[in-house]
Amino acid sequence: MTLIVIGCLTALDASSQNMTTGRVTGIDGLPIPGVTVLIKGKTTGAETDTSGHFSIHAMAGETLIFSSVAHETKEARIPDNLEISIILPNVINNLNEVIVSGYVAEKIKNIIGSVAIVKPKELTAIPAGQVEPMLQGRVAGMNVITQATPGAPTLISIHGYGNFGDVAPLYIIDGIPGNINDLNPDDIQSLVVLKDAGSAAIYGVRGANGVIEITTRKGRSGNTSISFENYFGYQVPLSKGYDILNPWEMAWATWDALKNSNQPLNDPQYGSGAMPVLPDYLLAGNQTGLFEGDPATNDSLYKLNPDAGEVYQIVKANKAGTDMFHAIYSPAFSQNYTLTASGGNDKNRYLFSVGYLNQQGTLLNTYLKRFTVRVNTEFNLLNNLRIGENLQLSTKEIPDYSGNGNPGPYSASATTLASPILPFYDIKGNNYPGPNGVGFPLPLDQYKNTKLGRQNNWILLGNAYLELDFLKYFTFKTNFGGTFNYEYYYLYQPEVYLYRSDIPNSLTEGSGYDRKWSWQNTILFSKLIHEEHAIKFLAGTEYISSYGRSLSASRVNFFSDDPVYSYLSNGSLIGQNNGSQAFNSALYSLFARLDYAFRDKYLVMATLRRDGSSVFGPENRYSFFPSFSAGWRISKEMFAENWPWLNDLKLRASWGKLGFDGNTPLLNQFALYNGDGSSSFYDIRGTSNVAVQGFRQTNMGNPKTGWQTDIQTNIGLDGILWNGRLSFSADWYIKKSTGLLFPLSLPYVLGGATAPYVNVGDIQNQGIDLLLESKGNMGRDWRYDVTVTFTTYKNKIVKLNDNQNSFGQFIWLNQVGHPVSAFYGYKIIGFFEDQHDVDASPKQNGAAPGRFKYQDTDHDKAISDDDRTFIGDPNPKFSLGLNISFSYKNFDFSTFLYGVFGNDVLNYVRIGTDFFPGVQAKSKILLYDSWTPSDHNAKVSINENVVNFSNKGVPNSYGIEDGSYLKNKSMILGYTFNRNMIQKIRMKQLRVYLQVTNLFTITKYSGLDPESIGRENPSFFGVDPGNYPNNQKQWLVGLNIGF
Amino acid sequence: MKLNRIFLVSLIFALMISCSKDLLDQRPLGQLDESAIKNKTGVEKLLIGAYSLLDGVGSPNTVQPWESAGSNWIYGSVCGTEAHPGSNSADQSLMFEIEKFETTASNEFMGSKWGTVYDGVQRSNDVIRIMRQVPELTDADTVEYKAEALFLRAHYHLEAKKMWNRVPFIDEYITYSNNNYKVSNDVDIWPRIEDDLKYAAGHLPDNQEEIGRANHFTALALLAEAYLFQHKYDLAKSVLDLIISSGKYSLGKFEDNFNAATKNGSESVFAAQSSVNDGTMGANGNLGDILNYPYNNGPVGCCGFFQPSQYLVNHFKTDPATGLPDLDNFNLTDVKNDYGLLSSDAFVPETKTLDPRLDWTAGRRGLPYLDWGLNPGADWVRDQISCGPYVSIKNVYLKSQSKTFNDVNFWTSGANAININLIRYAELLLWAAEAEVLSTNGSLAKAQSYVNQIRSRAADPAGWVYKYTDDQHPELGYSVTPAANYFIKIYPGVWTDPIFAMKAIRYESMLELAMEGHRFFDLVRWGIAETEINFYMSKEKNISSNLIGASFDSARDNYFPIPQSEIDRTNHHITQNPNY
Repeated sequence: MTLIVIGCLTALDASSQNMTTGRVTGIDGLPIPGVTVLIKGKTTGAETDTSGHFSIHAMAGETLIFSSVAHETKEARIPDNLEISIILPNVINNLNEVIVSGYVAEKIKNIIGSVAIVKPKELTAIPAGQVEPMLQGRVAGMNVITQATPGAPTLISIHGYGNFGDVAPLYIIDGIPGNINDLNPDDIQSLVVLKDAGSAAIYGVRGANGVIEITTRKGRSGNTSISFENYFGYQVPLSKGYDILNPWEMAWATWDALKNSNQPLNDPQYGSGAMPVLPDYLLAGNQTGLFEGDPATNDSLYKLNPDAGEVYQIVKANKAGTDMFHAIYSPAFSQNYTLTASGGNDKNRYLFSVGYLNQQGTLLNTYLKRFTVRVNTEFNLLNNLRIGENLQLSTKEIPDYSGNGNPGPYSASATTLASPILPFYDIKGNNYPGPNGVGFPLPLDQYKNTKLGRQNNWILLGNAYLELDFLKYFTFKTNFGGTFNYEYYYLYQPEVYLYRSDIPNSLTEGSGYDRKWSWQNTILFSKLIHEEHAIKFLAGTEYISSYGRSLSASRVNFFSDDPVYSYLSNGSLIGQNNGSQAFNSALYSLFARLDYAFRDKYLVMATLRRDGSSVFGPENRYSFFPSFSAGWRISKEMFAENWPWLNDLKLRASWGKLGFDGNTPLLNQFALYNGDGSSSFYDIRGTSNVAVQGFRQTNMGNPKTGWQTDIQTNIGLDGILWNGRLSFSADWYIKKSTGLLFPLSLPYVLGGATAPYVNVGDIQNQGIDLLLESKGNMGRDWRYDVTVTFTTYKNKIVKLNDNQNSFGQFIWLNQVGHPVSAFYGYKIIGFFEDQHDVDASPKQNGAAPGRFKYQDTDHDKAISDDDRTFIGDPNPKFSLGLNISFSYKNFDFSTFLYGVFGNDVLNYVRIGTDFFPGVQAKSKILLYDSWTPSDHNAKVSINENVVNFSNKGVPNSYGIEDGSYLKNKSMILGYTFNRNMIQKIRMKQLRVYLQVTNLFTITKYSGLDPESIGRENPSFFGVDPGNYPNNQKQWLVGLNIGF
Repeated sequence: MKLNRIFLVSLIFALMISCSKDLLDQRPLGQLDESAIKNKTGVEKLLIGAYSLLDGVGSPNTVQPWESAGSNWIYGSVCGTEAHPGSNSADQSLMFEIEKFETTASNEFMGSKWGTVYDGVQRSNDVIRIMRQVPELTDADTVEYKAEALFLRAHYHLEAKKMWNRVPFIDEYITYSNNNYKVSNDVDIWPRIEDDLKYAAGHLPDNQEEIGRANHFTALALLAEAYLFQHKYDLAKSVLDLIISSGKYSLGKFEDNFNAATKNGSESVFAAQSSVNDGTMGANGNLGDILNYPYNNGPVGCCGFFQPSQYLVNHFKTDPATGLPDLDNFNLTDVKNDYGLLSSDAFVPETKTLDPRLDWTAGRRGLPYLDWGLNPGADWVRDQISCGPYVSIKNVYLKSQSKTFNDVNFWTSGANAININLIRYAELLLWAAEAEVLSTNGSLAKAQSYVNQIRSRAADPAGWVYKYTDDQHPELGYSVTPAANYFIKIYPGVWTDPIFAMKAIRYESMLELAMEGHRFFDLVRWGIAETEINFYMSKEKNISSNLIGASFDSARDNYFPIPQSEIDRTNHHITQNPNY
């Protein structure tokens, strides 16, 4: 290979060059700075300065290409005097912009796949710190559920939910798979979403969930330009947490519950008798419900030395009520800086950027800190040989939540639902584990201790490439890159007296690395024949290899809690825990792509990829993924050229086959054995303290498993009318996912080894994506741009395992004929009015007046498992993104709204608060709006101290609510200073802005925030377990500076 | 020229695709493939893995360890009138469904228990399957491995048989790759269980160097149990006679069976070995019973489950004159309890005569609770209204053994090293007594002597609970004053009425084996589950609100519902038990 390259190099001859100068202006005669000037057919380039002037080494007779983001590209031949001036009109659309997609650069007007382009400015309008949440509402056909926790993952799906596991799209950064959340959003040049099979099939077995391709910013020829982006944010927690009972109301609710359950009116806290009383002390030693003056509350009795078994805690009641919500949520600051320097000349170009993000969450001790450095360079070594690299180095830090009793952000708000009479601490300021012991520690200490743990990542992400033009029409490119991620975490947990147990202090520490590298080699043949037939043919290979290894260890019983002492070697000999693990996988692919365009009017594309993946056994390791697309630019037809209102109109259609291997465990093909202390070790000698190593089968293995196959058909229409007053892009698609990789639900008689994933199950998604945009000027000073994205899909399970037509857990069921993750349970049709009603109704366990009456779905006069039915669908009917921007003279205003409509959410918090049994605080609904003999028009069943089938004992439709919402995600008001004002201080650009996020949320949902990720898995979503709410307002002030 | 170009392009392309395809053959990391386990040590370790499920904990098929506990505390004891789930009915509400015999087929507990016992079966099968592929093994090795594996396979099958009756037999030929796993459950598996046990008994040595392994007599004992469940009393008697006459086992001190320091004594026939501080963070420390400690400030403090019933406690009343229980009327009056009283209210415990085993079986207010101090009553109980005033004892370690026999790394201090007694000699004697009464060639006198052996042991004051020398300082030890008015005698004279004899044996079995997970299965075996359990519920509901409205119908409730998931997953090759 090296020999060939050198051979090609020596074949080149350098030609002599002269200096051409010129000036570029707009229609208004004003100079246009920053225009890229390129010599056609070469890579030599320059850039215009503030007065529009440029100079470039070029000879008379050569052609220069002038391009700029906001202007139309023009070409001009250099006259003999080597001077040239040119006028560039403003661009009305981006049709001539070139984007890289599927290994090939293509003009937007010639793209015939269902492809969405997100502008960098749209992304950074949401100050989320990470790219994924910024995509919400920006792409028609893409569903995005975000979380409030800084650094937390986002659930993204493109064109519905195509499987039951991982639905995340494939991310390609500068041609190489990577993780976009590690990118500094300010470094993004373009972000392209490939939604259909026509455009994504070139990614073969990784493309079924759609592909997001990102190109990072590059330097441009010209003087060095420096830009600086910065914002400060101040986020405030919701003003109101849950609507729960105060201590007095809680006492009354307790009495009601006891009365309604025919239980004696006594309670360890609220005394006994007809009236409850509020105690002064909740606990003294092992006595409860005490009053001032009781000798048991004498603080000289206080002891808390659980090691020695001496525990005598004294805890005062907080009769005023503890505001737990605002104890764990408080205002938080964020800041973000990016400094970029870029420039270059005709030989080389560079971009250097440094970014720092410190995003604090309102939940105590949550944060994301990230520091990034990016260096992108490109060198024209010779006229036909370029090399370059894009490299980002970043460090990231987030807290480690997994401490004692720390529920983390997943159900953070729900932890504030302890009964408000409870204080956080006892009279000596020590942690009070709560009266109910298990499972419900008061949250404050746990969240405070979050700061004793953290996770750091050092990530190297990037690629290096070489491009060689040879034999006139060929370009060879080799591209090597990937991600190297080193992770380190530690978690120190101080000794706590929790769950009525003494849990010793402990340190867990671990680290690991994983690397994923790709090596691509492609040859592109590109030729324009007779100025009519544009042909591009690409063939390539790709090899991807992943490997990772990690280790972890923990120790307990440290002599001192001092952080400087918390090292593994200082823990006790007993209770040591060590482990390490590793993984590997590889993918080898061949691919080809053919693009043909006739006069830019008739466009076709075909792609073919053959992938081989190590996660499958030799029998099913390889597969082909073809796609075909065709486009017709109607606006280029003769008849259309007479329609001045029509700038562009393109009809597209595509068909293709995609694959997905992401849900297959790496060890799926193997029958494996192993053992560990908890599952297979045994004290065979009866020693009481030695567990002898034992093995069990861990993996059944199936060498026959192959990939999931998606066949997707897409029809789309893109148009631009009236110079952009209206433009649209509409897509209809049907995506049939077959052979879903799915763990077999094998009968337990086969034992405990992990069942293999096999290809069973089909899902169908069908939907419409719609993008509408209107932009233009109103008068001289007003500009506007309104964009709407509309997403709707219908999702249906077509087939499951041969053995079953449904699977699920808790309240979710996946059943043939129904959407993924539908809610399934007993449907409440009312209350049992009285005993007569109970007797007259179908037989139901636990039936009694005031309890829920369920629908007798199968009409067999008895309520059994068979009467469960579908009671909700967490899939939205449609979602909507609306962006409105205005500018007036130097002011700009934009606002972005995102809405999801017609989805159901299970407000799981209400299962805890609206029924008496259980340890959570109780709601006003329970006390004031539960069924009573005199109030049958209630919201919840009778308040009683019993759990059974007919109240909260089984999954039923209680708590399932309409989760539709419309959020004002962002509102920005900016001011850009006049150039001549700031030129004195050598600035090219200065813009300041004020921003508010989540100004309002319109919803009927009764919980804190209807947007709930539930779990990061589409099989189980749409449940709000008391999330860290993601609709908190944030106020920002920001700055964009250019030099 | 043209040819050269084509050649050049082709060459570049050929170089591109010449990457070795072997790169896709990646070995699994961190686990053993079949080639690595097919050797003698591998087989031995698979056998250990099969033993390790005796405690019911550690199968990936179980959701929570208590759902599949090897002690059967829920299915055997709670369902068998001995205890209530405990805590309160909002906590683990599925357990309360089981107590009320309102279990549905989708109750998660069923799947966990089923999944664990069949995991045990398949681990036993793995031993045999892999063993056969190891040429280096000697014949003696293969016989020993097979015998132990078949013994374990029989045990796990027997567990399934007791729970669900209509269960499939899974031998070593049933595997995923053989695609023959849709086995129906309409064939009675007793003959197969017997076959396995006969092979085991015929090939296992009388003594094993490692105490946890099954020996010849363990296999015989399990075979006897299998015979009893089939009402094959003659066969049961002959096997039990063999074991008893061997002299290998004898009755020790009652409480030694429930103490990690004295486990594996002369009385232990078959036990699940428990261990702590063994590097597994408590995983082998009876996690199936992890909830079963007093609540609040009591020992361990978590989580108030497994509360003995008043009905059980009432069994321990003895006649002040004869020292015998009143077999018929024992439940008319209650042993005095502190139901409804706060710990701060005054209370004097029962003063009438009691069987001394009571205070090793049920923790009651005012009595020494091992060496933890006097039981304060309500403060150790989460919700008396749900589950009554008592707490369990047999599964609780001594305070003086803290950090030695409980695990210091589990998140409660409750993981302990007390063995689960799957068969102990006292139980075997009671089986023998039953076989004597019901077999064609038995002797009532012999039956009586077996029962009296057990009662004599109980009557020995060396095995009673005594008051502390100082109630405030239990660590100072015990006085010579019995903790309660203990009075127990053997059955005098000679039994002549087999009906009375059976009644006495059943009653004795409650006294001796309560809270050890056997009662419900015995009641079903004896055919008296319906009368006994309904009788129990009719009064017990006054002290345990969960039982209000509950009833037992033997046509359905003698066996638990087969997990719906298993029916679904075998595509209905497994069918549900009647009336579910």
